[in-house]
Amino acid sequence: MTSTATQLEAAHAGSADLVDKGLVKWHLVMAMFFMLTAMTWGLLISLQFLHAYPFEGISFLSYGRVRLLHTNEIAYGFLVNGFIGCLYYAIPRMTGRAVASSKLGWLILFVWQFILVAMSVGQLLGFAQAVEWGETPTGFRPGTFDLNYIPVDFLIEIGAVLVAIQFLTPIVRSVHKRQYVSLWYLTAGIVWLILTYVMGNTLPEWTLPGSSGAATVGLFIHDLVGLFVTPMGWGLMYFFVPVILRRPVWSHALSVIGFWALAFFYPLNGVHHFLLSSIPMSVQYGAVISTMAVEIVVTTVIVNFFGTMWGSGDALRTNLPIRWFYTGMVGYFITCLQCMFHTTLTMQELIHFTDWVPGHAHLVMLGVFSFWIFGMTTWLWPRLTGNEWYSRRLNHWHYWLSVIGLLTMFVDLLAGGLVHGFMLNALSDWMEIVRAMHGFWAVRTFAGAMILAGQLCFAWNLWKTWTGPKRPYDYRVDLATAGGV
Amino acid sequence: MDRFTSILLAAGLGCFALAFVLSGVYPWLITDAREPEATIAEVARRVTPEFKQLKEAYPVAFAAAFPGADECLTDKDLAGVPLDDPRRARSEDAWRAAHTIALRDGRDAYVAEACWHCHSQYVRPVANEAQRFGRVRSAADDNNALQRPVLWGTRRVGPDLTHEGGRRSNDWHVAHLRDPASTSPGSIMPRYTWYFRDGWQVWRTIDPELAEREGLAPTTRYPIPGVYATEAEARSALERVRAETPENLHAERDRLEVAPSSGPNETALALLAYLQWLGTWDASQREGVPQ
Repeated sequence: MTSTATQLEAAHAGSADLVDKGLVKWHLVMAMFFMLTAMTWGLLISLQFLHAYPFEGISFLSYGRVRLLHTNEIAYGFLVNGFIGCLYYAIPRMTGRAVASSKLGWLILFVWQFILVAMSVGQLLGFAQAVEWGETPTGFRPGTFDLNYIPVDFLIEIGAVLVAIQFLTPIVRSVHKRQYVSLWYLTAGIVWLILTYVMGNTLPEWTLPGSSGAATVGLFIHDLVGLFVTPMGWGLMYFFVPVILRRPVWSHALSVIGFWALAFFYPLNGVHHFLLSSIPMSVQYGAVISTMAVEIVVTTVIVNFFGTMWGSGDALRTNLPIRWFYTGMVGYFITCLQCMFHTTLTMQELIHFTDWVPGHAHLVMLGVFSFWIFGMTTWLWPRLTGNEWYSRRLNHWHYWLSVIGLLTMFVDLLAGGLVHGFMLNALSDWMEIVRAMHGFWAVRTFAGAMILAGQLCFAWNLWKTWTGPKRPYDYRVDLATAGGV
Repeated sequence: MDRFTSILLAAGLGCFALAFVLSGVYPWLITDAREPEATIAEVARRVTPEFKQLKEAYPVAFAAAFPGADECLTDKDLAGVPLDDPRRARSEDAWRAAHTIALRDGRDAYVAEACWHCHSQYVRPVANEAQRFGRVRSAADDNNALQRPVLWGTRRVGPDLTHEGGRRSNDWHVAHLRDPASTSPGSIMPRYTWYFRDGWQVWRTIDPELAEREGLAPTTRYPIPGVYATEAEARSALERVRAETPENLHAERDRLEVAPSSGPNETALALLAYLQWLGTWDASQREGVPQ
């Protein structure tokens, strides 16, 4: 077990030359690029709800198609690039081995960006697949084998296998026989990504119709978040938090419980995306119960991390990456707590088809995993470029605009969702519902603009730090000020 | 517990497989695995009256969209044709073939535009949904090729479309697709203008006496079905209409004119056919499959 800070730090210093900084940097750059495009799409399409969408009447920029870009570029453009970038940094340090091959790394980088462009163009041209979070074009006419576009799904599967080869190689060849908790999450997450993606993008398309298709789609939506994004996120947190705080993880037992219970319960949640449907009730009840179990599991992980920070709480004030991480963890706790309640059939009745759900999704995708990537990028960037931040103040603007914007959006969509739900139940006239929602949608656009403004601050800061005059970054100063915000 | 192989096998493969069996394979085994999926041709067997009306309203686009469209005879064409005339059976087959293609292409358009992100096809037995949208469907009802990939949706920005078929006229849908606010004031749905093609059409100006009686402007005019690509084609259509108009209605014949117009294109017709089909098929219509 290398879970103590000293060992981590030793590994940290000793394996620095194992890291290909170029790959880390370029994946983070591409992550930030797609984050900006995806958020721009999001802000734009929110205008459709306010009768102010500028591109109405242009087929390839119509609301329905651009909406797909918003979610898919976040998932596959921002999160995947961001996580891969951080993996290039973390895995060699934890295993004492370099990744399989730097050349393979550059190949993956280019292939993945090609996939993202092909995906976006395909969706704008109307070749999307009708699988939520997996609208990546199959390249085939829906439900058939007539090829009509680049088979993006297939390319993503190849890409995921290449990623697995790249990162599982150092894990298998690790200098430590017993793996540190991070690597449990990362190993499983990489394997799960391949399985999940293949399952969700083949079965509902070619074999399973209607109700059984919906069960699999639910499983896919959930596994993508729960078995890829979540383990990547937590795996990296288990690496970065002890490294930055220079403290060991609080409890090994909680790490073990957290990981195995997550692996067991999380995938069983899938069907909760289609409750009160024609999927057999036994399966629906099973999904509800395991969703509640996940909350208990999550609590153990959260406790473990707050235990780790116990005694260095001041880092929340002085250390921006740590603040990003713990903000995300609080977000994660709220998300799962919320999930525990709204997965009940009683709450489903009210909120299922409403803005409550996008509110929840924004908290988990932006308020947790994106925040963690922002935190990791904030910590890594001066180390990667060797340059002092262009402006530390801008990083704070990034944090506060993102957090306040997200909270505003979250509360707004939750409240709007309740109003929508009650009006639906009350059989209110449809246009009356739309009018009632108008205010909520206006606030959402405002909150979105705020979040995007935060990202622009960050992107500008990254750019200026990278290309600006050389101001050598001395990480020892950082250590002296506990991370030096 | 913390070695590579145990993580890979127990968590990576084991937990995933367990969940896949419990929430993927098991529900499939006890529902859709029990009978074969209905093909598109099967669910298209009952041709909706709205689909037949599309041919009357938009003959040019209809002929371009569906091969064999000229074999599809409308009730007007069949007036006076004996019941045992083979033309009737041929026409019925042609309608089914055209309807099959229309449903497939219509579903493809529905997917391409991501209609399913704002309109659900998923009525739940709670929250007064059956009252607003219609009957709750069973797993067997959705066991058909048009629900693969499943189009239940998870969000309701617009109303549920499970039982949309036959609820509104083709004209309503055409107007709504082109400009949703024209039929639903305040609607936030996008305008699907690229589903329409500009062209030329024959118009008939209203009878002045009728206009006066009904309080309509004397310039009010009505389109004669058929939007043509060129003015010349519309002119020859005008001549046909004039020739078909009975002699004693010569005033009607003189009130015809050719003017610019616009109508749904081939994809739009398929999408309309799909929307008008939604909810009209269910498992009780299956042949040879035990209920």
